Amino acid sequence: MRLPGTRYQEPGWEEVRKLLGQCSLVALRACVPGQDLAAPLEAQLEDYVDLMAGQLHARRHAPRATAAGNSYGESVAELALGLVYELRARPADWQAFCAVASAAWEADALLRKKVNDMYAQLRDKVDADNYQAACGRPCSPNRMYAYRMLDTAYGEIARLFGNWEQHRAQVGAILGRPLDAGFATSPIEVRQLRSIRDCRPEWLLRWSETLERFTGSAGPLHTRSKRFASLKTSPDKIAAMLQEIGEYEALSANRDLDFAQDLDDASLWMEDYWRVLQESEDVMTPGPDRILENREDELDLAADDEAGPAPARSQDPSPDPDPELEAIAAGVSLPPDYLRMAGEAEAGSGWIAHALLDDGLPVRLAVYARLLGPADDSYPDAWRAPGSGELPTMQQLAALARVSLPTLRKRRDAAIRRIEQEALARASRRRQA
Amino acid sequence: MKTKGEQQMERRLAEAALLAGRVEGDRLVLGDAVLAAALDGSRPLSPGERAALQASPLTLRRLRRLALERRAQTKPAANDEEWQGSHGMLRAASSAGPAAPVSDDGWWTLHLLGQEGAWRLVLQLSAAAPFAARLLAERAPLRVRDGAGRVILEGRLDADGECEAAWPFGDPPAVHLQEQGAAFTVEPC
Repeated sequence: MRLPGTRYQEPGWEEVRKLLGQCSLVALRACVPGQDLAAPLEAQLEDYVDLMAGQLHARRHAPRATAAGNSYGESVAELALGLVYELRARPADWQAFCAVASAAWEADALLRKKVNDMYAQLRDKVDADNYQAACGRPCSPNRMYAYRMLDTAYGEIARLFGNWEQHRAQVGAILGRPLDAGFATSPIEVRQLRSIRDCRPEWLLRWSETLERFTGSAGPLHTRSKRFASLKTSPDKIAAMLQEIGEYEALSANRDLDFAQDLDDASLWMEDYWRVLQESEDVMTPGPDRILENREDELDLAADDEAGPAPARSQDPSPDPDPELEAIAAGVSLPPDYLRMAGEAEAGSGWIAHALLDDGLPVRLAVYARLLGPADDSYPDAWRAPGSGELPTMQQLAALARVSLPTLRKRRDAAIRRIEQEALARASRRRQA
Repeated sequence: MKTKGEQQMERRLAEAALLAGRVEGDRLVLGDAVLAAALDGSRPLSPGERAALQASPLTLRRLRRLALERRAQTKPAANDEEWQGSHGMLRAASSAGPAAPVSDDGWWTLHLLGQEGAWRLVLQLSAAAPFAARLLAERAPLRVRDGAGRVILEGRLDADGECEAAWPFGDPPAVHLQEQGAAFTVEPC
C-alpha cells in the first residue's frame, strides 16, 4: 500500500522487520535494557542506537539488506536505519519497550516478538506523521493501521474473486447472493474488480462478517476488539479510504520520488521559514488565532537572548602542537595533528559557529555527524579520518575531547538543542542585524 | 563575510536540528490555508500561531513541504525566457518513418536530409518557443550532440530560426543516431 509520504507500508516491510529483529537481538544482548539499573534509559537508548547502526552497517551487503524496501527506491537497510533513528528521537517509545522487555531475561523468540511489536507501532507513527507532512490531512497511527487493514482485505477479496469457481460459497457470501453450481459464467462484479477503487464497502463488510465461517478466524472488523468499531458501522468511511488508497496508488505508479531532490538546494526553504517568523513579528496580525481544533495555546515564545557580535575564535584549535593530544590522536588511529588540521579547515563566521564556539572541535564534529551524517559531501578532507573517509567515530572524538563517551553525547545533545533554539528564534536575530 | 557554501551548511544544520525533533502526540496545529498565507506574505502568523508552529515539528515539516512546492512551482516560470538546452529522444528504429525527431520540450526539430554520401542536418527552432525571440535576435551559436556526447552540428541560427550543416560522419544519420543512444541534445555554446 502506498499513501502520500508513507515509506513503511509496502511488502518490503516484512524484510525491514526481520532485519531489525535480527540486529536487535545482537544489540540488546550487548546492552540489555534494565540490566544496568544505574544507567539512565536515555543512555541505554544511545547505546542501543549505536549498536544497531553498527549491526546494520556490518550487514549492509547482505541480500536482505540490499533488497527493495519500498517502491521509491529505498533499500531494506536504509528503511531499517531510518526507523532506528526515529526511535532515538522518541524516547517514550523506548521507555515503553524497556518496561515490557526488562522484566525477564527473555528467550530469543520472545525478545524478538517484543522488538517486532515496538517497531510495528513505530512505523505506523512515523508514516502517520509522513502522511500529514505530505498532504496536510490529519492522520493517526491507528488510522494508518486501518488503511492497511482495508488494503489487505481488498487483496484477499481480489484473490477470492480471481478464483471464484473454487470459492463459490465465500464469493457468494461477499456479494450477498448465492453462486450455486449452475452459475457458469463469472459474476459481473468479478470481472469489474480491477483495482481497490472498484471494491465496494459492503463486500468488505460481508467478507469480514463471514470470514469465521470459511476460515475459522474472525474477520478484522468482527473481532471482539473495538479497534475498528467506528468503521464497522460506516460503509461511507470505508469507501472513502478505499478510494484514497486507489487514487494515490494510481497517481504514484510512475514513482513519486522526493520532489525536493530536483531543487539545487533543498535547505533554501529555511529562508522562507525565517521570513515567515520575521513577518509574523513585524506585523501584528490580530486574533483570533487560527489554530486547528482550537486547542488552547499555552506556548510561550522562546525568549530571545541577547547576542553580541561573534567574538574572535577561542584558543581552540590550539596553534601549538600539543604532544599529549598528539599521542591521544595516534592512540585512536588518527593522525597526530588531526585536531589542528581539522580546526584550520573549519569555517567559523556564521551564527551556528557562534552558538557552538565554546564547545570545542570534537563536540562540534559530533554535532555534524549527528545532524548531517558521518560522510557528508560538504565536509573538508581534513575532517575525515584516514581509512574510513568519514568523520571520526564517537569513541575517537571522546578520546580527543578527553571525556567519556556519555559526557561527549551529553555535550553534543546540548549543542544541538542550542542550534534548535537559535534556528527557532532566528527571525528576531535578523531584525536586529 | 560568509560564503555561499557556509550559508548553505548553516541552513542544512539548522534544518536537520529542527526536523529531527519529535514531540509525543504532535499534530498539525495550523491548516494549509494559514501556512500558505504566511508563506506568500498575505497574512503573517499571529503570535499565537507562530508559537504553535515553533512547538510543533510536524507542522514545521508541513511548512517545509509547502515552501518547497512553492519554490518548485515558481522557479520554471521565472526562467521561461532562459534556455539552458534541450534534450530529445529518437523514436524506436522499428517505427522509423518520415517524422523528424523533436526535442522533449517541443521547441527543436532535427531534420535529416539528403542521401547516401551527401547527408545534411537542419536544426529548426519553433517560433512558439518562449526564448525564440531572444535566440533569433542574438543569432545564437548552437551545438547539437548525439547520445554519446559527440558534436554532430555546430553553427548559428539564421533569420528563419534554422541552422544547417553537412553530416560529419560516414554512416547515415538515422543509423548513427540510433546506435549512439537514440538521443540528442541541443545546447547554447
